[in-house]
Amino acid sequence: MIRRVPWGFLVFVAALGVPALGSRFYTFLANDVVIWTLFATSLNLLVGYTGLVSFGHAAYLGVGAYATGILMKKLGVPFLFAWPAAGVFAGACALVFGFFCVRLTRIYFAMLTLAFAQIVWAICFKWNELTGGEQGMPEIPYPDFGWIERLGARLSFFEWRTAEYYYFLTVVLVAFCLWALRRIVHSPFGRMLTTIRENAERAEFIGVNVRRYELVAFVLAGAFAGLAGGLFGIFNRGVFPDFAYWTKSSEVLIMTLLGGMNTFYGPGIGALVLILLNQQIVSYTEYWPLVLGTVLVVLLFGFPGGIAGAAGALSGRLLRRTRGA
Amino acid sequence: MLHVFTLLLAALLTCPLIAEAQKPIKVGMPMPLSGPPALFGDPATKGAQMFVDEINAKGGVLGRKLELLTRDSKADANEAVRVARELILKENVDFLVGTLTSAEGPAVSVVAKENKIVFIAPIPKTDQLTAADKLHPYVFRVAATTTMEGRSAAEIVAKWPVTNVATMSFDYAYGQDVTRAFVDHLKKIKPSVQIVDQQWPKLGEQDYNPFINAQMAKKPEAIFSSIWGGFFVTYSKQAKALGMFDTIKYNFIGVGEAATPETTKSMGADYPVGIWGNSYDAFYWGETPAHRDYTTRLSKYLKDEYPSSWAIQGYIGMQFLAEAIKKAGSADSDKVAKALLGLTVETPVGPLTIREKDHQANRGQLYGKTVKDAKYPFAIMKPVTYVDPSRFMD
Repeated sequence: MIRRVPWGFLVFVAALGVPALGSRFYTFLANDVVIWTLFATSLNLLVGYTGLVSFGHAAYLGVGAYATGILMKKLGVPFLFAWPAAGVFAGACALVFGFFCVRLTRIYFAMLTLAFAQIVWAICFKWNELTGGEQGMPEIPYPDFGWIERLGARLSFFEWRTAEYYYFLTVVLVAFCLWALRRIVHSPFGRMLTTIRENAERAEFIGVNVRRYELVAFVLAGAFAGLAGGLFGIFNRGVFPDFAYWTKSSEVLIMTLLGGMNTFYGPGIGALVLILLNQQIVSYTEYWPLVLGTVLVVLLFGFPGGIAGAAGALSGRLLRRTRGA
Repeated sequence: MLHVFTLLLAALLTCPLIAEAQKPIKVGMPMPLSGPPALFGDPATKGAQMFVDEINAKGGVLGRKLELLTRDSKADANEAVRVARELILKENVDFLVGTLTSAEGPAVSVVAKENKIVFIAPIPKTDQLTAADKLHPYVFRVAATTTMEGRSAAEIVAKWPVTNVATMSFDYAYGQDVTRAFVDHLKKIKPSVQIVDQQWPKLGEQDYNPFINAQMAKKPEAIFSSIWGGFFVTYSKQAKALGMFDTIKYNFIGVGEAATPETTKSMGADYPVGIWGNSYDAFYWGETPAHRDYTTRLSKYLKDEYPSSWAIQGYIGMQFLAEAIKKAGSADSDKVAKALLGLTVETPVGPLTIREKDHQANRGQLYGKTVKDAKYPFAIMKPVTYVDPSRFMD
């Protein structure tokens, strides 16, 4: 019964309806959540599905953001090409870094991803001519919404600002990316990744080239993170070296854990909860890390499956009870 | 009968206007309130708050109270943009006054431009903020610029009997721009000068030893530094331990406000007395009655015998905004932006004017050689001179 409900589609429609609430701030928050959902879900391809814990996923967000930003601002490339380029550049970066990373396991893998991310950050920080260095690259132009605005002027019933058009565009693009990611994890390739997560040795015995599979997963995760970065740079009205800093990597890792890495939509839920929590708590106290730390401790001990895991267990129990009755 | 109706109608129509007039005018202030930059950021917000309290006690502006909303920008451009957008979208602020670093200023300027909200920058100095290609109708600056500061320092160094000069600056907009202005102007007025070394630590560096050692190996006779805020404290302590100041015979000029009373106060006996530095303000300056009066009020407000020199930047920023609102007769950003062009305000440091051409105020700074003074338990600049920047502005 529950399976039949097209949850993904419902969320998509609900997300499109946010600007109708009339608050620019809600649209702003929703836009943040949507982009981080894609970023966290891309990380989950590694953490949840392949069992590779990356501490440097922000590197690809940064590369993607700078790729789109530089192309659109300095070279005047339209969004139509500049955005996919974010995925291509980030994917290429992930290919190079991943080539070395997948040769190591567990903690060494994690440390190496962190090391590469710090290299990316240092480059963004130091290469003043290209990236603007510390002060970043403000004023990335929005995609050209001229045609839709002209259309909007004729049809007076939808009149939005650029930020709202950009939000709609983000929702559609992220929905497309999530659909693609879902297809990937449910494909035979995705199943093989799960096999590797469960038992890499056994997978090797049955003839799977584990490293190659891991590398492909790494590149895909990097590419989708890059696409999220491309969207984020424009949304943030500027690209900064911070995007590639380790704190961003840990933030996205926390989202993934919080939401639940064993489910596809878990990281998205994590992104939503973390951003809303941050927004609410920061207005009450400056000790946000304290609250976050407490939440994490409770979560890791109480609900190791994250929010999605806990919700799944709860609904499962309820279902069994109703069936039993 | 008709008259009654007209009256009623008029009353109904003006009702919302009256309600509007009672609402406070909200001003958002993103400012670093944590870490070493808070040494400057925190007093700047206090100065702004003092101005707000004073003007509200007198009935506010246009009959409306001013309300200041401060947010910690963490001295980070990305964070400054985030809080600025939150202030605009969530708190519906009417104006922005704030930011400290030269990375934050231009980043927030973009947000102000897109939301069509007047933004007055009281501290960031980078020339890029009001450069021709970045200038827009809503951005204004009441701080000095890197050009003014670098050239003022060059004028001082040109008088020293030295030819080999080195520079030490953070590797970002402010550091790069002020150093370039200094070097260019110095070479122009004293062509015999050689720049023997330039070090570029990253903003927020904690360990300056490698930079100092590398620099001293080039044997400079004088050093120009733009390491600012709490960072100067760290830098100069490490430099002192390495004997740097003695080696260069205190031929050292620290722009980025290395000679502010709060810096010399917080360092006490560790301060390298004898170096040159600058400051936006100094409680001991006392040049005019207006300044003496301001210092007394500030001292009372901060409950500090030796009040901070940074409060004045927040104070002047708010002063310009309030005067512009009065002149415009409205809190509408478009009208206030027009009112700010060419506006002259009597500030505690004297009359300042925002130029129409680049939205830049002729804000000079105090320069002087630091000495020990028996009257105070810390070093002061003596003699202290206000360098009028007018001839350096273009």
